Amino acid sequence: MKGSIYKVLGVLLVVYSLIYGLLTKVPDMPIIEESIRNLFYHVSMWFAMVAMMAASFWNAIRFLGTEDLAKDRRSISLAEMGMFFSFMGLFTGMIWAKFTWGAWWTNDPKLNGTAITILIYLAYFVLRNSMDDARKKARISAVYNIFAFVMMIVFIGILPRMTDSLHPGNGGNPGFNSYDLDNGLRIVFYPAVIGWILVGTWIASLRYRLKALQE
Amino acid sequence: MQKIMRLLVRFFRQEVRNSNVLFSLGLYLLGVSYLIYLLSGSTPSDSAWNTLLWVVVFFGSVQLSSRSFEFESGSYFYYYQTIATAKHTIIAKMLFNVSYIMLLSMATWGLFSVFFSNPVYNTALFFIGLILGATGFSVVLTLTSGIAHRTKGNATLGAILAIPLLFPVLQLTSAINLQAIVGVTLTDAANVLGTLVALDMGIGLLAYLLFPYLWQD
Repeated sequence: MKGSIYKVLGVLLVVYSLIYGLLTKVPDMPIIEESIRNLFYHVSMWFAMVAMMAASFWNAIRFLGTEDLAKDRRSISLAEMGMFFSFMGLFTGMIWAKFTWGAWWTNDPKLNGTAITILIYLAYFVLRNSMDDARKKARISAVYNIFAFVMMIVFIGILPRMTDSLHPGNGGNPGFNSYDLDNGLRIVFYPAVIGWILVGTWIASLRYRLKALQE
Repeated sequence: MQKIMRLLVRFFRQEVRNSNVLFSLGLYLLGVSYLIYLLSGSTPSDSAWNTLLWVVVFFGSVQLSSRSFEFESGSYFYYYQTIATAKHTIIAKMLFNVSYIMLLSMATWGLFSVFFSNPVYNTALFFIGLILGATGFSVVLTLTSGIAHRTKGNATLGAILAIPLLFPVLQLTSAINLQAIVGVTLTDAANVLGTLVALDMGIGLLAYLLFPYLWQD
């Protein structure tokens, strides 16, 4: 019972953000119009992805310290979940980009960062599938996971701030903070982020248990 | 320090003995540069020049590093463990690869100057950009080729692992080199230079700490 509180909370928050995100009053802005509601669905995916990848990174470090294969199973389950969120973020973003910027894909630092992140973690899955010995696989992929996470943070967190971007808050475009001071967006956005992270953790834990049973 | 030097001398000796590898790399450079010359037909614009230079150096380095650990396979792996620790090995390998990639990029720069003329205005900044880029390349490629080597898998795995990880270094380096071509002064480029130095040091330290976990059976 105790362990299921976060699952219930996660589902409630996600359902709340999905429904209330469509009903709530949003600021009236040119070009972006009602599509600003995508903030709740698109941006929360990225927050959830970074949280999943960070947890995967942390479990990889703990595996190298303890040599405990359970940590490795957690690490891969969380990385798979993070990958799912990054694809969802990509698709919701592409739809949003088509209606506000006029193209499915633009040469924007954040989009490049996403493409690289997906390539890095696909390479991580390829690496895992190329080995049989469980212990060796866990150790080598943990090394790659740690290195890859740091590179991903550099690419999505540091480099975009040095160049112009179409995204809010970069290169002269104002951030959302200057618009959403009515807090109308915040009371949906933050619960959405927390809800998706909790649901992601839940699914990852199910995958983790499935892997433990398979071995 | 002495041990690292001894390993480094050893790596260079192995390379000299296998001089056909160096020769084939030179041939690759010459072939690709001439291919670009034939296809472009005229002198490319500054940014195209820079892009082409980095594409050539990029694939040359990936190719080069894919055989980074070929002398340490099979029973030689155990032999190396008796003569050097993992930390000495990674430092020596990284230094070796830095010098090799540096040689590669200088040669590419030379060839491009012959075929397309040399648009670089601030030579010092361009050279610093090459050194920092070669360092970052070497760190990433040494670690990923070590990973690919330990899986005993296919040769393409190293490239698959390395290519996405190289993009941050590549982006910063080519930005610096483009600034050098345009003629930005050293002080104006300090911001990007500082970021690249910090990135190189960070990933170098990370590779140094992680490599011992890789280098064991």
